[in-house]
This record gives sequence, structure tokens and C-alpha cells, in this order.
Amino acid sequence: MSEAEVHTSEERQTAAAGRECCAQLLRLQVPADAICWHRFFGALQLALIGLLFLTGVLMALAYTPVPGTAYDSVDYFQFSLPFGDVVRGVHHYAWNLLLVVMGLHLLRALVLGAYKSPRQPVWISGVLFLLVMPLFIITGDLLPWDQKGYWSTQVRFSIIASIPVAGDFLLQLFRGGPLTGIVALTRLYVLHILLLPGALVLLIGLHMYFLGTRGLSGPLSGNAAHGPKVPFLPDIVNRWLAVFLLSAIGLGLVAWQWPAALGDPADPTDSAFIPRPEWWVLSLNQLVAIFRGPFMVLGSAIIPGGLVFLLGALPFLDRSPERRPSKRLGVMLAAAVVLAALAVLSVMGYVEHFVRPEH
Amino acid sequence: MQKGLKLGILTCALLGFAGLLIFSGSVTGAAKQTLTSVYSKAAPTGLDDPAWGKIKALEVPFDGKEIFAGKKASVATKAVFTDSEIYFWFNWKDATLSVTKEAWKYDGQNWARQKGDEDRISLLFEINRINNYATKGCAVVCHVPAGAPNAKEGKFGTATDAEKGDLWHWKAARSDPAGYADDGYLAKISDTKGGRKGDAGKGGDKQNITDDKTKPKYMLAPGKKLGKNNILLAADAVEITDYSVFKAGDVITYRMPVAAEGSFGDIKAVSRYADGAWTVMLSRKLNTGNDDDVAFDPRKKYNFTMALFDDSKDYDSYDSEALTLEFKK
Repeated sequence: MSEAEVHTSEERQTAAAGRECCAQLLRLQVPADAICWHRFFGALQLALIGLLFLTGVLMALAYTPVPGTAYDSVDYFQFSLPFGDVVRGVHHYAWNLLLVVMGLHLLRALVLGAYKSPRQPVWISGVLFLLVMPLFIITGDLLPWDQKGYWSTQVRFSIIASIPVAGDFLLQLFRGGPLTGIVALTRLYVLHILLLPGALVLLIGLHMYFLGTRGLSGPLSGNAAHGPKVPFLPDIVNRWLAVFLLSAIGLGLVAWQWPAALGDPADPTDSAFIPRPEWWVLSLNQLVAIFRGPFMVLGSAIIPGGLVFLLGALPFLDRSPERRPSKRLGVMLAAAVVLAALAVLSVMGYVEHFVRPEH
Repeated sequence: MQKGLKLGILTCALLGFAGLLIFSGSVTGAAKQTLTSVYSKAAPTGLDDPAWGKIKALEVPFDGKEIFAGKKASVATKAVFTDSEIYFWFNWKDATLSVTKEAWKYDGQNWARQKGDEDRISLLFEINRINNYATKGCAVVCHVPAGAPNAKEGKFGTATDAEKGDLWHWKAARSDPAGYADDGYLAKISDTKGGRKGDAGKGGDKQNITDDKTKPKYMLAPGKKLGKNNILLAADAVEITDYSVFKAGDVITYRMPVAAEGSFGDIKAVSRYADGAWTVMLSRKLNTGNDDDVAFDPRKKYNFTMALFDDSKDYDSYDSEALTLEFKK
């Protein structure tokens, strides 16, 4: 067989594989309630992540990862480029909303016992997101090189450094030197726009794969397998596109009306600046503040890490097939205690940083 | 379906509540005074316009420098913007009206320049970002000592070509009588030249002095009137041909304000000295279109500082910390 014939044969095989893949997608039937008005958190998260990727790429086109110049480039993007404020605002609000929806998604799965057999891998892959998302915060906040981002990063670096054994190594990995300067900014930028999104895409793929093989969580009683089905293409894809469009328009309007804030340029010599934590980190911040000195690691790593570990191990700790919340009082009570603790810590943090900022 | 409906309503309500929490306010950093420029459809017509009465003044503290070291001052500050202009309103206590600026005085035989300077207020905005200006204010703008080679032209400036400031300088004797504040800018200071420059155009003041520097060269032209605070404007001056018309005690302006033109005259000024206090209103187009002016975009925040001069030279001032100017519609 000649070289040209080999090429032609390979091309035919590839085309056939592509056609088969499309045919499979067209044949794919999924539960009709995969995306519906009372089950849309997953779809909304995917839409928000899509928006974050899109707006992130647009911002990266104008961004310069150099201290000082980084601020100017963000300022230029937001105020001089057409719709720059809307794009940056959508990135900002999509991230905030994503955290809310992720929390609600997790809570819903917890309350409805969606982690139970055979869906344990779906749950565990979902919990893994909790390990990746904070990294987006750590790496993203510094990028505008403004006072808040810079000093928040300094606080986080000090928390990372307090982690036993790995603290110094992790700090060196993020910062790349003794000071938060150009090396740190470059590293965090690469992590934020390349490595972490890559990891997130892999996690989403893994989550979707398990979702496909283990199925959606059905109703608390009855058999979901006998429920109505609809074609993935176009029904589910169209519904997702509707969620995406509605999110984009909604967040775009919010961003247009209330543009994302851009504070003063970072001044590494201005140690008097005290950053106020964002709402989603208030509880963790307070936890760190409670355990000071040698016990700091309790608040910074052991308690949050332990909670994530327990969350991941939940399917193995609660093995009964029972999914009704009223019959799982132990898990419900534990979840309520954790939620209440987070709420109390957040309120304490809010009071400390916003009501009595002089403290 | 009933159960699904309840669940859906609950999740939507939770999302809405969470959204309210998120969007209810932006998180800001440590304390720094912010002057909020409030939108007004109609431009304030003067110092007593009702628009000013509706706004609570920001009391900006000032620390004295050089001869004023250890002393404090305070300026009540307000700002309003329309679709095309921005207006600032300042009020500060000053026990004495100082507009002498070395005016000539005749003792019956000779002319001599009197001691005495003028009251001033200045503002410095960033045209291009000045490194750490947002946090350190004027401290990062290089000031050179009097007598230094580069003190002749402006005495201060920025550290690099990329950094540029917009300097608004209201002078009670040299600009206010002509109805404006000097519009200058701050560029890089070199070893031989200061970085303080005047905007393009005409303005400033003209020295009223004969070639032999012994007496004034100009007097009020017939049919003209002296300007505010009895200041002689350059446009109303005529060369003196007969010095015998003057009698002992006569005073003539030494630094005559020149009517401003072009970018130099962008900042209009209205003022009043009464009851031991100055009230000054400065106004300018939000965007003049000139490279030597900061272009105000109401979506943005701006860093600025202020300095107050009480009958004093450039080095003797009261300086504010860095402030933020924001716009609110």
C-alpha cells in the first residue's frame, strides 16, 4: 500500500469515527429532568464556568503579567476598551454566583442522599472541585495588582506558610522567591489561566463521565430508570444553551449596572492596608483568626481539610441505601452543625471586618 | 410535581437571596477618604447654589509642612458633576485675606514691594498612573530643595516619563481675579529642570515692573475698574506715563493676572472670602480632550491630593493625604 493510500485510509477511519461519535450523540437518550426548572444547578455551574472561560480569554488578550503594568492593563481593559467593564464584571459576578450555586448543588446532593450507591464516584469527583476552586481564588486575586488583591494574597501566603511540613514548599512554589513580585505574578497567572482551567476541565469530564455511567440521582422513592427520556441532542443541549444565554444576559446586565470594583494600585510598601475578606472566605478567615500562633494550622489546614476529607468519605461513612432526609438524622444533624458553624464564623468575620473595621 | 414545584421555588428563592447578598455592596480596602462627586442635571450656578446644600461635605484634614510644621488645617470639600462638567466646592478657615503678592506701595517718594504672599489651594490628579501615588500621595512626587538647579522650573515632578499628573492651582491674587485656576501638569523631573509645567495656551500673570526694577510699569487704564480684591488685571492695565499722579499710600498690583486661553484656562474659578473663611468653586469639563489634563470617566475612581497655602511660598504648605474621587449617579 502506498503512502497516499495509507493516508486516505486513515482519513476514512477518522471520518468514520467522527460520524459514529455524532451518531451516538444523536442517539443518546437522557432522563427528561436532566436539566429542568427544578434541577439546573449543574447546568448553571457549567454555564458559569463557560462564561468564566470566555471572559477570562478576552481579558487575557489585554493583560500584562508585570507588577504595576498589570494594574494599568486591567484599568485599560475595564475603562478604555468597549464593553471591557461588562466583560470583567461578568467574570467577577460569574465567579461569585458559581460559588453560591456550587454550595447549593452540594447541599442538594447531601440532603437528597445523592452520594449513595451507585453514585459514590459522582459525589467524590464533585467534592474534588472543592480542592481546585480555592486555587482559582488564590491565583486570581493577585492578577489585577491592586491593593486588595496584593494584600489578600499576602495574607493567604502567610496562611499557606503555616501549613506543617508542606507550607514552605507550597509558598515557594506559588511565590517563587522571598517577595511577592514578578515571579509570583507570572506563576499565579500561568496557574490561573492554564493549569487550573485544565484541571477543572478534566474534573468536569470525570464528573460527567461518572454521571453518565452511574446516572442522575432519581426521586427519593420509585425507580428513576423508568422515567421519561429525551434526546441529548437537541433537547438537553438547547436547554443548557438557554441557561447559558440567560446567565450571560443576566450577569451582563448586572455588570453593566454595577461594574466590578478596581481598587488602588498595589503598593507593597503600604503595610497599613488591611484587606477586607470577600464574603466566601469570611468563615475561613475567622477560623484562622481564632487559632493563633502555633495552633494556626488548625484553622488554616486541619479543620477545613478534615471537613473536605469527611465530605469525600461520606458515601463510605453512610452506606445505608436510605435516602430520605428524615431517616438520616445523623448526617442531617452533622451537616446542620457544620453549616451553622460556617454561618456563625461568617457573621463574626463580617462584624470584625465590616462593622468594626478599626479592630 | 407538587414536591418538585416546592423544591424549585425554594432553590430560586435561595439563589435570589444569595444574589442579593453578593450584589448588595462591593468590598473595599482599608480606610482612605473618598470624595463622592454627585450627579446633577443642572450645573451649580455659584457658591450658594442649592445643589451644594444637598451634599454633605467631606472634611479633609491637612498637615502643615515647613513653617507650618505641627499645625493642622481642614477643608470642607464637595463635588458635583453634570453630563459634561465637574465642579468642586471648598471651604476653609483663614483668619486673613492674603492677596498682596508683593504689590507695590508708594511712600510719597519711592515705590517698594510689600511683604506678603497670597492664599492658594491646589489639587493634583493622575493623568497617567504615578507609582504609589494612590497610597503615598504627594510624598512620591519628587520635591527638590530651594536653590537646587532643578528648582527653577517647578521644583517638583514625577520620577519617570510614563508618570504624569494634572495640577490645578487656584491663586487668590494671580488667577482668581481673572476667574480661573492655573491649569498645569506634572512631568518627569530631571537634574536640571523641574517637572511642573503650564498647560498649552496662555495665562498666568504678568510682572508689573519697569526695566530698572524700581517701580511699577503699569496702572489701571482710564475707564476700567480694578478686579476682585482690588487686583489690577493685565488686560485693564496701561503703561504709566506720569508718576506724579500717585500719592503716598497708593498700592499697585505687582503680579497682574492674565486672561487664560486654551488648555491653561480650562479650570474656571469662583470665590468669596467672608467671615474668616475662603469658599472656592472650581469647575472644568470632565474631558477637555487635552493631553495635559486628566479625563474624568464617571465609571472610574481617581486618586488626588490637595495642598493649602496660607499667605505662603511653595514649600510652606498644608498637605492632605491621598484621597479618592468617585462619581455617583
